[in-house]
Amino acid sequence: MAAEILAASSPRRPPFGQRFLLGRAERRNLAMGLLFISPWIVGFVAFLLYPFIYTIRIGFTQYSGFGDPLWIGLENYRQLFRDDLFWKSLYNTLFYTGLAIPVGVVVAMGLALAMNQPVPEVPIYRAILYLPSVIPAFALSFIFLTLLDPARGIFNQALMAVGLPNINWFGDPRYSKLALVILAQFGAGQAALIFLAGLKGIPPTLYEASMLDGAGTWRKFWNITLPMMTPVILYDLILGLSTGIQIFTQIFVIFGNDPPGAPANSTLAYVPYLYNNGFRYGQMGYAAAMAWVLFLITLVLAFFIFRSSNRWVHYDTD
Amino acid sequence: MARAIAVQTPRTSTASGARSSSVRKRFRSQVLPRIVLILMCAIFILPFYWMLTTALKSNDEIGAYPPTLWPHDLRWANFKDAVEVFPFWSFLRNTATITALTVLGAAISNPIVAYGFSRIAWPGRDKVFFLVLATVFVPFPVLIIALFDIFARLGWINTFLPLVVPLFFGNAFWIFLMRQFFMRIPQEVSDAARLDGANELQILFKIIMPQSWPALSAVCLFAGLHAWNDFLGPLIFLQDETKYTLAIGLTFFESQSQYDIRFNLLMAASALIVLPVIVVFLMFQRVFVEGVTLGSMK
Amino acid sequence: MGNSNETPYRLIDHASRRRTNRRRFLQGAAGLGAAAIAGARVIVPVAAQEGDAVVFWTTFTDPDLAILKGMVETYNGQTQSAKVELVQIPPAEVTDTSKLMTAVRGGTGPDVYHLDRFVVAQRAADGVLQDLSEFEGGATFLDNHIAFARSEATYDGKPFALPFDTDARALYYNRTLLMEAGIDIAALDPANGPATWDAVKQMANALNQKGPDGNYTRMGFIPWLNQGWHYTYGFSWGGEFFDQAACEVTPDNAQVVAAFQWVYDYCKELGPQQVSAFGSPSMQPGFPPQQHPFITGTLGMQITGDWMINQLRTYAPEMDYGITFIPVPTAGNESATWAGGWSMAMPQGAKQPEAAFQFMQWMSGEPGQRIYTKESAHLPTWEALLEDKTLFEERHRFFSEQLLPIAKNRPPLPVGAKYWDELTAAWQAVYLNEAEPQEALTAVKERVQSQLGRFCPVTIEG
Repeated sequence: MAAEILAASSPRRPPFGQRFLLGRAERRNLAMGLLFISPWIVGFVAFLLYPFIYTIRIGFTQYSGFGDPLWIGLENYRQLFRDDLFWKSLYNTLFYTGLAIPVGVVVAMGLALAMNQPVPEVPIYRAILYLPSVIPAFALSFIFLTLLDPARGIFNQALMAVGLPNINWFGDPRYSKLALVILAQFGAGQAALIFLAGLKGIPPTLYEASMLDGAGTWRKFWNITLPMMTPVILYDLILGLSTGIQIFTQIFVIFGNDPPGAPANSTLAYVPYLYNNGFRYGQMGYAAAMAWVLFLITLVLAFFIFRSSNRWVHYDTD
Repeated sequence: MARAIAVQTPRTSTASGARSSSVRKRFRSQVLPRIVLILMCAIFILPFYWMLTTALKSNDEIGAYPPTLWPHDLRWANFKDAVEVFPFWSFLRNTATITALTVLGAAISNPIVAYGFSRIAWPGRDKVFFLVLATVFVPFPVLIIALFDIFARLGWINTFLPLVVPLFFGNAFWIFLMRQFFMRIPQEVSDAARLDGANELQILFKIIMPQSWPALSAVCLFAGLHAWNDFLGPLIFLQDETKYTLAIGLTFFESQSQYDIRFNLLMAASALIVLPVIVVFLMFQRVFVEGVTLGSMK
Repeated sequence: MGNSNETPYRLIDHASRRRTNRRRFLQGAAGLGAAAIAGARVIVPVAAQEGDAVVFWTTFTDPDLAILKGMVETYNGQTQSAKVELVQIPPAEVTDTSKLMTAVRGGTGPDVYHLDRFVVAQRAADGVLQDLSEFEGGATFLDNHIAFARSEATYDGKPFALPFDTDARALYYNRTLLMEAGIDIAALDPANGPATWDAVKQMANALNQKGPDGNYTRMGFIPWLNQGWHYTYGFSWGGEFFDQAACEVTPDNAQVVAAFQWVYDYCKELGPQQVSAFGSPSMQPGFPPQQHPFITGTLGMQITGDWMINQLRTYAPEMDYGITFIPVPTAGNESATWAGGWSMAMPQGAKQPEAAFQFMQWMSGEPGQRIYTKESAHLPTWEALLEDKTLFEERHRFFSEQLLPIAKNRPPLPVGAKYWDELTAAWQAVYLNEAEPQEALTAVKERVQSQLGRFCPVTIEG
């Protein structure tokens, strides 16, 4: 049974040659499909297409946001690759994302399994585990500042009480990115709910069947739960990629913007740097160029995740 | 932690070992999960606990060293003072309006679009879907300028429309979320319905949606929470006090010159803002769980 | 049917074989885009505010906001021209520029904007602000203001803002704490002139205390805390940050490097990370002021601004403290400090420019600044008001009489914000001993100069 689930379901689509000649059913499907996604198409054309094209265009100009953009061709892109803060911010961002995504998946899965325990008062636990996700970011960051204060924060007092070193989470360049990753985990309740919904959707019959095979807890998790959760994990990876690469608000609220990336550029992330170029330094063209470079990088990463997902994501359970 | 998944299925055991096995089973199903849960909750409740106790502290006590875990005097007046820093009730009304419309838009548009991307096989579908996903990888700040130009041309600035209307056309992430859940439902279910003469809308609302309540309620929750706490959108598109939202109000506790903030009042206001969300979440859980039972009755 | 297990990967994988389709799609998209751009060429300004009110955006919060409200009321009660409508916008320093920029572009901006004077040159260069010399009396209005404020409000020889208030930095010290540690505080009496940095260091060392875990529990002085900025030290060492003749930023100027070096060495002796653990939390936005080490009495001295007088009154009313000059490198040197402050600016697209300018003059002029100085205990830039002793209580007089006449200002460059950010990152790297002063400051110069070049030549008033 488990093996059957693990085996990638075989593709059931006609070979490519045939697909160019749309049959009647296919034409009907195309029309129907487009009809269903038409709200998105309308929204895309109305609200996104122009901003996209506009920013691509000003990426080739020198532009403060006012007056006439000055066409400078590829100069912004050339300057970008010579800008060591661009590289620094890219490095910081990839470092953060590379750490935050896997940690986030594991924590979210752990929370979801905990939220799925069959004890009667579990709604209360769920609410508590979800609680940090509903506190406004603006307030949450202040709370962490005082909790993680090396001199008087109770979190650090607790660390020291069990013999761990006192860490200056937000003031020490060696730990500041790590602190952001830890902080992000308090918002894992959001992803955990999606995972929980995924867990709830696993047909109990699968477990019952494996029970007859005498599978242990771990094997059931590995052979049934995890494969069944892969569509949700894929979602979480893409979500984590997008939010990780575009980390913005948390950094502003915790480290301020005076300058962005304190201490000593150790948390200078890509989008805050882009934002400052556009809105603080009067370099909107440069910011736009940065945006499209980041877009391409993320797209490539997303593409590889999707490409690999073909091997490990399992839809359709029959 | 995965062990709990098995607990509801009866385990066959020999008669002699039944007693000790049932004790062990009880421990594993009732006691152990609680220990783990309570430990986790102890960590996750900390920010909220800190927010609530700080909200009740006096100015002096915030400076106390070592920090007090429970306020000496519960200063309930902080809540009264906090709602006077900005027009709390009118901001609350604005936020609630935006949130309600956002949830409505998200609940209508995302399932429909997600259906088109998962339950109907049309040529080029997944390529277009990748395009949908790609849109979320363009950093939002760089789009602000051009978006503002569009909304200014439409005359929508300083109204709720820029914050609400786009949600009625689907959001890439929530489309993706619903799609992932739709795709787990066996295709045969749809095929059978089609043979019975059901059209696509009927299949969506009669067959697919009843199995997708958890996903839809999650989308509604996320959409609502996003609208409730969003800062950048209201900041850019709203222009006076009659339209501002609670997330903007929170910034008014900070002084325009650095290093001064009314911390206890900020926490009091934050607690008031979080409160309705907790209530909604507890209600949401019922839909979530009931939806799940509906969904699993195949 | 049965395509539910299909993933985007497969289609992308085969995308090359279906080039025709893709090209057609791209053509379609480009067509739409071209239409979008063509349509957007003419951005029609939208009438945001009905009626004729002058709309004034401020990022101020209470208690200063309340004072502004009162001032606007007073003005509205006596003006013959359009009334003013005060709108509070979120004070987040990071975001106000995006809000202003989008609104002005979209034609829904304010008539008057409260702008940190230090970014006036940058915004003027960006093209956001209106040249005020075009208004009646606009060319000479600044003459009544103190020199550094005039300089900051001017770009390219033209006035782009009217100064509103100012501030200045000084050394604050906790008299009780120092005396209890047996320190002779006579050197910190302003009557004896400025102390030397090394004297301050000696006093500070007598106060430093560590707990059993090796962390500081009390410190004498943290050079970089609060207003101990790069500019504070650079000016103190007599450094110059801009060379007008060469149109070059000069963060690598020998005096600035020497100033950074002193701080580098100071922190090195005490352990840069331990110093940071003690001081850095209070530098983060939103740190509760009640827990600031100076306010809790665990820090002996700090450099901060005149606004600290009010903060101490609120949070540490009992503290016995003194205020003196920023120290000097060698005895006999002139002490240096610097000042900033706010201003009133008029964005492009203001719908009531004439009435707006009248209001700006009132706020920035004698009547407005008199009210604001009196009620907020901030310092005025209107020169005549500085003479009026009734406006300042005793502690403020040190600032208005001793410090403002010697105050410098950050060079008002069109790349001022970038320069500040770069200097600060280098500053942090230096006081954390992550980088040597010379290399850090040379890198700052390279990056800032590459952006300044296109504005050259840049002339600075005064």
